[in-house]
Amino acid sequence: MTIRIRLAVLACFLAAGGALALGAGPARADYPEAVRQTLLPGYADFRAATADLAAKAAETCDPAALAAPFNAAWDAWLEVQWLRLGPAEDQGRALAIAFWPDPKGMGAKAQKALIGADPALLAPEAFAQQSVAARGFFSLERLLYPATPLAADTCPLIRATADDLARMAAAIETDWTGSYADVMLTAGAPGNATFLTESEVRQALFTQIATGLEFIKDQRIGRPLGTFDKPRPELAEARASGRSLRNVLVSLQALRAMTETLSPNAPQTLAAFDHAIQLAQALDDPDFSGIADPSGWLKLQILQQAVDATRQKALSELARDLGVDLGFNAADGD
Amino acid sequence: MPRLSLTLPRSLTAALALSTALSAPVLAAEPAEVVTTYVDIAAATYGDALTTAQVLKAAVDAFVAAPSAETLAAAREAWKAARVPYQQSEAFRFGNPIVDDWEGKVNAWPLDEGLIDYVEAGSAENEENALAGLDVIATPKFTLSGTEIDATEITPALIGETLHEADGIEANVASGYHAIEFLLWGQDLNGTGPGAGDRPWTDYVQGDGCTHGNCDRRAAYLVAATDLLVSDLDEMAKQWAEGGDARAVVLANPEAGLLAMLTGMGSLSYGELAGERMKLGLMLNDPEEEHDCFSDNTHNSHYYDGLGIRNVYLGSYTRVDGSVVSGPSLSDLVAAKDAALDTQLKGQLDASVAALGAIKAAAEGGFAYDQMLAPGDARGEELIMGGVNALVTQTASIERAVAALGLSKIDFEGSDSLDNPNAVFQ
Repeated sequence: MTIRIRLAVLACFLAAGGALALGAGPARADYPEAVRQTLLPGYADFRAATADLAAKAAETCDPAALAAPFNAAWDAWLEVQWLRLGPAEDQGRALAIAFWPDPKGMGAKAQKALIGADPALLAPEAFAQQSVAARGFFSLERLLYPATPLAADTCPLIRATADDLARMAAAIETDWTGSYADVMLTAGAPGNATFLTESEVRQALFTQIATGLEFIKDQRIGRPLGTFDKPRPELAEARASGRSLRNVLVSLQALRAMTETLSPNAPQTLAAFDHAIQLAQALDDPDFSGIADPSGWLKLQILQQAVDATRQKALSELARDLGVDLGFNAADGD
Repeated sequence: MPRLSLTLPRSLTAALALSTALSAPVLAAEPAEVVTTYVDIAAATYGDALTTAQVLKAAVDAFVAAPSAETLAAAREAWKAARVPYQQSEAFRFGNPIVDDWEGKVNAWPLDEGLIDYVEAGSAENEENALAGLDVIATPKFTLSGTEIDATEITPALIGETLHEADGIEANVASGYHAIEFLLWGQDLNGTGPGAGDRPWTDYVQGDGCTHGNCDRRAAYLVAATDLLVSDLDEMAKQWAEGGDARAVVLANPEAGLLAMLTGMGSLSYGELAGERMKLGLMLNDPEEEHDCFSDNTHNSHYYDGLGIRNVYLGSYTRVDGSVVSGPSLSDLVAAKDAALDTQLKGQLDASVAALGAIKAAAEGGFAYDQMLAPGDARGEELIMGGVNALVTQTASIERAVAALGLSKIDFEGSDSLDNPNAVFQ
């Protein structure tokens, strides 16, 4: 059965080659473009945005003044968060930047020990040794948007957390420009043990797109959505800062941009993205508290279905276009 | 529409290779023979998990009937022995929905153990779980999601149907190996220092001498949870024995069966073991983020997971009685398509078993897994990351084996989701 499908693909492949040769040809899009036009600028933006945040935090710890750079930095992270391979995975950086979901409540627990702690623990090297649950955007969010006012002076911890984010962002970008971009761009070259063929890079990026969509569907939307009878708005991501919906939207936009630079021939996948993005833009429920109400719940569920439809479309159309299969991913476990 | 590219897509290359191979007179294993070995190994592994759990059950009964330091030690040893085959069975989990849907009942983790029994003051707090400190053993009646629960009698049904994942919260683990582990060892209060949980045997003394109260209910919970584990394992052993559904599903479609084998190997290697259970725990520096956190048996759990992955590839399982179940293997199939890949993957599987073996050896030498998680502990980090890196490395080759055999995870998943359009309502 599989052989027959493959031969059908081959026939289609040859037919398409003939047809395209008559026309102007597609816009150039493939993994080198994805690396150069999307990933490298994305990591540079993340570095710049976290540097801005750290600089502002050095001036003031006023949550109102920090809101704009905090949100800009988080947006920049979402541009690249879905890519769970390469330098962001080294030393657990992606986990330290955004530790969520946190079903055991470890972030709050680990952070408690650092509020009003010995300043030596907040020094860069010591802070980088702390649990990933005590670092990153969610820790900063707990300090800037506390449920109840925090008794101790949180300013030193706000600064340490922002600085730590900026250092991680800088290290990731340095590793990308210094080496990892070349690892991808020299796929198939002798000596490249990571990507033995060009197709392996395409498969890796495709797998990350599919996994990114799955994360939006199952975690960012699925966790708070719960069931119709028992919605769980309190489990929404970044609820305190009112970013739950925004994280969905910006992630979808980032994955759409990657799809577009990776492949010129995935119109149905892009259309599915556009539909999901429109639904997210039309949803007026920043922290998903509206899902406690049945009509609000159904709206978010419709968005979840649109995200799932986008993933299914990517699996059927984008994968075939790229000539790849779905690889293993970090979300395969529990 | 396919891309315009100079490189033939890998799947096409693989398909062409497959059709070539089919016409070549190679004395290679047939997919049907390979999946038969696989189901035989699964049946033997779950069979051993069942018999070792029955031994655990006998040890628990003996302990509860006559609590002493010796009978508690015997129950703990029986628990550790039961983990040896079970952990090897984890390679069957991903890729076989019948196993994956069932697995949460027997091996869910991590848990808010304060749901079950007494814990250290202040340790049962979880902002996402209102039941983290319920303590069913001390609380015969309570309210759950607005419903009055009568837990006067602690039965397998109460544990499995009411308490487990209560309130829809995954940290409410009431059943399985880790619940039993907690009841035998208690909380490990040594942080990242030496020492495991140290529950006194007197927690099970009936009448005078009972420590921490409610010894009758504690004993009832331990017995009921062990009974439930045995019955759950019995169910899964039957699934893989002659006439079982899990066995039939795999044998009915050998090609899908091959994919289930590789999916199980890759998903356990990467997302589950290397990621969720090893790297995450290291990055959290949290001693509770070790898989067997009460007993400090994590080194064995990880090691036997690694062994189980290799068993599937090599088509060979050594039973607890020392006998070997083996037959035509995935390795034989891959070797016929791409001998270099087979050699590489075998080497990498040996390397991950060795890296996990180094963790086991260090732990047996007195450097427990939770000590390896201490912040800034360079030796522990090196040991754990050695295992993580070996598992991640072999995952890339497992992916290549999927392609070399001309299999497609997408076709497989596609059919799965078509069967299940209303999954969101479940």
